[in-house]
Amino acid sequence: MKEYIDSGILEVFIMGVATDEEVKELMYMKAKYPEVNEALKQLEIDMEKIAADMALAPPPGTWDKIEDEIDDLIRRETYTQPVKFRTDHGHNGYEKTAPPEQFISIESESNHMRLHKSWRWVFAGVFVLGKIFLGFAIYFYLENRQTQQQLQELKTEIRELKKK
Amino acid sequence: MNPQLQTSAPLARNKSEALRSLYNGYAAKLLGYIFEVVQNKTVAEQYLAAVFNEVPNEIEELSKAGVNVLCRLQIIARRKLANFFETLDTETERKAGQNMPWVNNRYIAQMTPLQQQVFLGAYYQCKTTSHIAKELNKTEEEVRKTLNECFTIIRNGRNDERVH
Repeated sequence: MKEYIDSGILEVFIMGVATDEEVKELMYMKAKYPEVNEALKQLEIDMEKIAADMALAPPPGTWDKIEDEIDDLIRRETYTQPVKFRTDHGHNGYEKTAPPEQFISIESESNHMRLHKSWRWVFAGVFVLGKIFLGFAIYFYLENRQTQQQLQELKTEIRELKKK
Repeated sequence: MNPQLQTSAPLARNKSEALRSLYNGYAAKLLGYIFEVVQNKTVAEQYLAAVFNEVPNEIEELSKAGVNVLCRLQIIARRKLANFFETLDTETERKAGQNMPWVNNRYIAQMTPLQQQVFLGAYYQCKTTSHIAKELNKTEEEVRKTLNECFTIIRNGRNDERVH
């Protein structure tokens, strides 16, 4: 059992890079052998300890921003896409609070566009105006066709009168 | 009234409370971990937000009995940070990213150069043991064993602190 524990499998599991088979085996061993379970707990305590040593308190307001982003994601019913953040190396935020050259690129595969609600009145206006212009166009087209017909009839009548 | 809204609202509220509780408990530890990797406060905060944006999709997994929340959150962070190493443009940046000379951890200082390479690779750079083995021209078993030794050093260091 010691050999299994010392093989490094527990460390690989806790870092999330164990294969599915290794995870299954470890879950079985953990349930069957209390020493494996104990070693795993010890390892988790080690991880907590390392993390606690380097902990940094997030600035105030960070949670509000995160909550807004999550709400926004839920509202749009989309899932998070892989995000890439870039940085100019050699400068951290503690020395330089607002790096001017830094940029963030967030990839999004959404095909939707968000518009302000007031735009719906503009679209409605454009739609109504379009209908009015279409109505005028049809009216003038029919009027013009009728005039052309009357003109043609008049010309025929004149021609017949001249013959007489 | 929309029945879906009626049923999902308390669920969303519970989720929101669970998220807040996770943030209060683990944000500082995660931010410290991410900062060690990216060395930029602003970028680290963006990655922290990206991790917590992912949490609603993992909340059930995180709530399971026996799951270590910090380790699970660190796995999510590692997945996100994998993109960070892809964005290192120059060879110098990549080399610095490999050796991470800025990591100033008293446990790591006690490790041999090989142990440091393995630990930094697995813990901070999100590399699999097979990847590290290939890079260091070692077998995967040797790398896993080395990783186990690293945690033994951390644990012994912790126990020494307790004695003193």
